[in-house]
Amino acid sequence: MRRYFRLYLHFLRFSFSKAMEFRIDFTFRIVMDLIYYIVNILFFKVIYLHTPMLAGWSEEQLMVFVASYLLVDAINMTFISSNMWWLPQHINRGALDYYLIRPVSPLFFLSLREFSANSFLNLLIAAGFFSYTLFTYSHPFSFLELLLLLTLLLNGVALYYCIQMLMIIPVFWTHSSRGFIDLFWAMGIAMERPDRIYQGWLRKVFTVILPFSLVASFPARLFLEKFDWETFLHLASVSLIFWMLMLFFWKLGLRNYSSASS
Amino acid sequence: MKWWRSVFSMELRKILAYRSDFWVTFLGQTFIQLLIARALWKSVFEAQNTSSMEGFTLDMMTLYYLIVPIGTRMLTGENIGFLSREIYEGTFTRYLIYPLSVFQYKTITYLTNSLFYGFQLMILYVLYHVCYLGDSLGNLPDLVLGVSLFLVASMTYLMMAIVIELLALWADNIWSLMVMLRFFTTFFGGGFIPLDFFPAWATNLLQWTPFPYLVSLPVRTTMGMTSVSDITNGLIILLSWCLIFMMCVKFIWIKGQKKYTGVGI
Repeated sequence: MRRYFRLYLHFLRFSFSKAMEFRIDFTFRIVMDLIYYIVNILFFKVIYLHTPMLAGWSEEQLMVFVASYLLVDAINMTFISSNMWWLPQHINRGALDYYLIRPVSPLFFLSLREFSANSFLNLLIAAGFFSYTLFTYSHPFSFLELLLLLTLLLNGVALYYCIQMLMIIPVFWTHSSRGFIDLFWAMGIAMERPDRIYQGWLRKVFTVILPFSLVASFPARLFLEKFDWETFLHLASVSLIFWMLMLFFWKLGLRNYSSASS
Repeated sequence: MKWWRSVFSMELRKILAYRSDFWVTFLGQTFIQLLIARALWKSVFEAQNTSSMEGFTLDMMTLYYLIVPIGTRMLTGENIGFLSREIYEGTFTRYLIYPLSVFQYKTITYLTNSLFYGFQLMILYVLYHVCYLGDSLGNLPDLVLGVSLFLVASMTYLMMAIVIELLALWADNIWSLMVMLRFFTTFFGGGFIPLDFFPAWATNLLQWTPFPYLVSLPVRTTMGMTSVSDITNGLIILLSWCLIFMMCVKFIWIKGQKKYTGVGI
C-alpha cells in the first residue's frame, strides 16, 4: 500500500510539471470546465423558469443534486479521465506491454498514472459550489447525513469508473482506437438527470444495467429525502457487482491482448 | 474535379472502417440521448399538468431531440483536432505535395462526414414518422430544407472551427477551445433546451450571435416550425457569418503559416 502511495506521489509530481509546461492549455482547460459547470447550472435554471418542481425536487434541492454530480465529474476528470482517454489507444497500438511488465498492478498504473492538474483547480471550484449549495440549503441536516452523502458520492466515482472501463474493455476484441467511450460520454448525461424522471424499462436500464442514476442521483435522494434502506442496498449491491464485473472483463481482456497494433 | 471524388470516397471508407463501433455509437448516442431528453420533458409536462409548453407538445419535443444529436453531428463534421493534430504532429507538410490545398481537402472530408450524418438524419426522420407516429413519411420538403440548412450551417461551423484549429500554430493545445465552442454552440443554439424556453432577453441577445442559426433554425425548419422569411433571414445571416469567419481564417493563415516549422511538438 505504501509503495502505491509513493508511486502516486510520483505521478502527481510528474503531472504537475507536465501541466506547467503547457501553460496556455492549462488555463484554457480551467475555463472549459468552468463553462461546463455554468452550462449545467443554467440548464436547470431555464427549466425551473417553467416548472416549480422537477422529479419531486424543488430548485434548491435539485441544485444539491447538480453540485453532487459536478463534484463526481470533477473527481473523475482530475484522477481518472485522462487515463481513460489514452487506454483504448494503448490497447489499439499494442503499447500496453510497457504497463504489463511493471512490478505494479497494470489496472492501477493505467487508471491513475495521469493526474489532471488543471482539473484539480476545477475540483476545488466544484467542491466550493457543493459546499455553497449545502450551506444555503434551508433544511437542517446532521453531520452523519453529510458523511453518508460524501461516502456515497465517492462510491459514485468508483461506479462511474467501472462503467467507463466496461465501455473501453471491448477494445481488446474490436481493436478500434476509441472503443465505446463516445457512447459512454453520450450516455453520461443520464447521470446528470434526477433518477425519478426515468420510468418503466428505462428506469431499469439506468438503475441496474447502466447504473448512471446510482452515481449521484441516488446519493442525493438519500440525503435530500428520508433514508431508505431499499435504495441504499440497491446502490451498494449494484456497485459491488459492477466492480466485480469490471475486474473480470479486464482480466479476460488482458488474456486476449496480443501486443500487435491495429 | 476527380480529386474531390477520391477524397470523398476515402473519407467515407474511413467513417465505415469500424462498423460495429460506428453503429453502436450512432444508435446509442442518438436513442439514449433522445430517451433521456424525452423522460425529462415528460416529467416537466406532468409536473405542469399540461400537454403543450411554449408551442411544443411532447411528441414535438421527441422529434426535436431526435434531430438535435444527429444535426449537431452534421454540424461538427469531423472530430476535434482535424487540423491542429496535423500541426502538432508535423504532418501538415504533406499537403504541400497534394494537388489541392489543405483547406479544400479538409472542406471535402468535413462535408463527407456532414453528408453522411445528413443521410442518417433523413432515415431516422422517416422512421420516426412511420414507426412512432404511424403516419406518412413526414413532411419531406421540410426535411430536405432542414438538412440543406444544416449543411450550410456546417460550412459556417467549419470556418469557426478552422479559426480555432489554426491557433495551434501559436498555442500548445487548442482542444479545450474547441470543446468550449461545442458547448456554446449546443447550449446557446438550443441543442440542450429549445430556445423558446429561454427568457426573452436571452433570445434577443442570442440573435446577434451565430448560434441560433447553427442549431435551432435547421432543427425548427426540419420540423416545419419556420416561415419562408425566417429561413431566408437565417440563411443570409448564416452566410454572412460564414463569410466573416472565412476572412478570419484567411487572416490567421497569412500570419500563422510563417510560424509552421513542420517539426511538430
